[in-house]
Amino acid sequence: MKPSRAAASLGIGVVQAYRHTLGPLAMGRCKYHPTCSQYAIDAMREQGLVRGAVLAGWRLLRCNPWSHGGVDYARDQRLFPLGRRRSA
Amino acid sequence: MGVSLPLAGVLQPIEDVLTAILEWLHSDIGLTWAWAIVVLTLVVRLLILPLTLKQIRSMQALQVHAPELKALQQKYKHDKQRLNEEVMKFYKENKVNPAASCLPILPQIPIFISLFYVLRDFEKEVFPDYPQSDLGFLNELIPNITDKISDHWSGYLLLAIYVGSQVTSTLLMSTTVDKKQRILFVILPFVFIPFVLRFPTGLMMYWVTSNLWTTGQGVITRRLMPRTEPVAVKKTSRTPPKDAADEEADGDAGDGAKPKKPSPKPAGSTKPTQARKQPPPRSGAQPGGAPAVRRRKKRNPRTGR
Repeated sequence: MKPSRAAASLGIGVVQAYRHTLGPLAMGRCKYHPTCSQYAIDAMREQGLVRGAVLAGWRLLRCNPWSHGGVDYARDQRLFPLGRRRSA
Repeated sequence: MGVSLPLAGVLQPIEDVLTAILEWLHSDIGLTWAWAIVVLTLVVRLLILPLTLKQIRSMQALQVHAPELKALQQKYKHDKQRLNEEVMKFYKENKVNPAASCLPILPQIPIFISLFYVLRDFEKEVFPDYPQSDLGFLNELIPNITDKISDHWSGYLLLAIYVGSQVTSTLLMSTTVDKKQRILFVILPFVFIPFVLRFPTGLMMYWVTSNLWTTGQGVITRRLMPRTEPVAVKKTSRTPPKDAADEEADGDAGDGAKPKKPSPKPAGSTKPTQARKQPPPRSGAQPGGAPAVRRRKKRNPRTGR
C-alpha cells in the first residue's frame, strides 16, 4: 500500500468512526445526495487525504441552511483536475 | 485539564469559554451550577434559532409539493439510491429543501466534547474557587452534576428522559420518510446507554434540555403547519376563492398528501417555472388536486352554510 493511500485510509477511517458514533444523531439532515460523510469518503478515496479533505470541507460549507442541496458526487468535482484521480 | 486525548489541547479554548460562561452565570447572575448549564443550553439554542426557523419554513413550503414527492416515492420505491437522487434533484429545482444541513452540526460537536471535559474536571478545576457553591439540582434531586449518570438513581431518571426526548425530537425534526431510518432513530438512544452512563450528569442535563427544546419546537411546528388548512378555511367563510393560483402560498399544504378530490381547475397550482424538469407525477397525484378541498362546506362554522 502506498503511503498516500494509507493516509487516505486513515482519513476515511476517521469519517467512518464519525458515521458510527455521532453520525446517527445527525442522520437525515444532509441536503445533498450522497450525504456529506459519504462524499468525504468518496473524495478521499479518489483524491487522497489532503485533496479529499479539502473537497469534503468545501462540501460541508455548501451544505448550509441557505443552500438548496442537490445531487453532487465526489467524482463530479471540478476543484481538482480529473487527471489526478487515483483509484479506478 | 483533560489530557487523555490530543483532542483536549485543541479544545482548550472552547473549554475556557464554556467555563467562563458558566462561572459568569453562577457568580454574576447567581444561578446554581445546574441552572447555569440549563441556561447555557438555552442560550446556544437561541443562537441557532434563526437557522431552525429557516428549516421550519422550508418544511412548511415543502408541504405544497407533497403530492409530487409522494409520486416520486412510489415510482422509485425499489431503488433507494435513485429515489434519493430524484428527491434531491426535486428539492433543488423547486428551491425547497427541508433538511437541516450539515454545517451547523460542526460547531456543536466540539462544544459538546468540551463541555464533557469541563464537567469531568469541574470538581478539580472550577469548584475549588467556589467552595460554598451548590452542585445539586432541584433540592438535591440530583445531588451532584459532576457525578456520573450511574452514580445516583436520579441519573437513571435523567437517562429515561434523555431516551424519550431523543426519540421524540429526532422523529419530530427529521424529514426522512424511510422506515428503516426511523426505526434506527428509535433504537439508537438505547444503544448509546452504556456510553452515556459514564457521562457527567451535567452533560446529560445539557443534552436533555436541548432535546426538550427541540421537542417543544417540533410540537409548535406541527401546530403551525396547516393539516386542515386553517388559513384557507377562514377565507372561504366569506368569499370562496375564485382562482386557486391566488393562494398558492398557503394553498394545498397538508391536504396535498391525500389528494382524493381532483381539482376541476388544475391551472396555476404549480408554477411551471419551478416544476420544469420534474418527472410526471403518477396517477391520483395531480399537482392541482388539493385546492378544491378548500371549498368543503363543513369547514364553515361562521356562516353556518
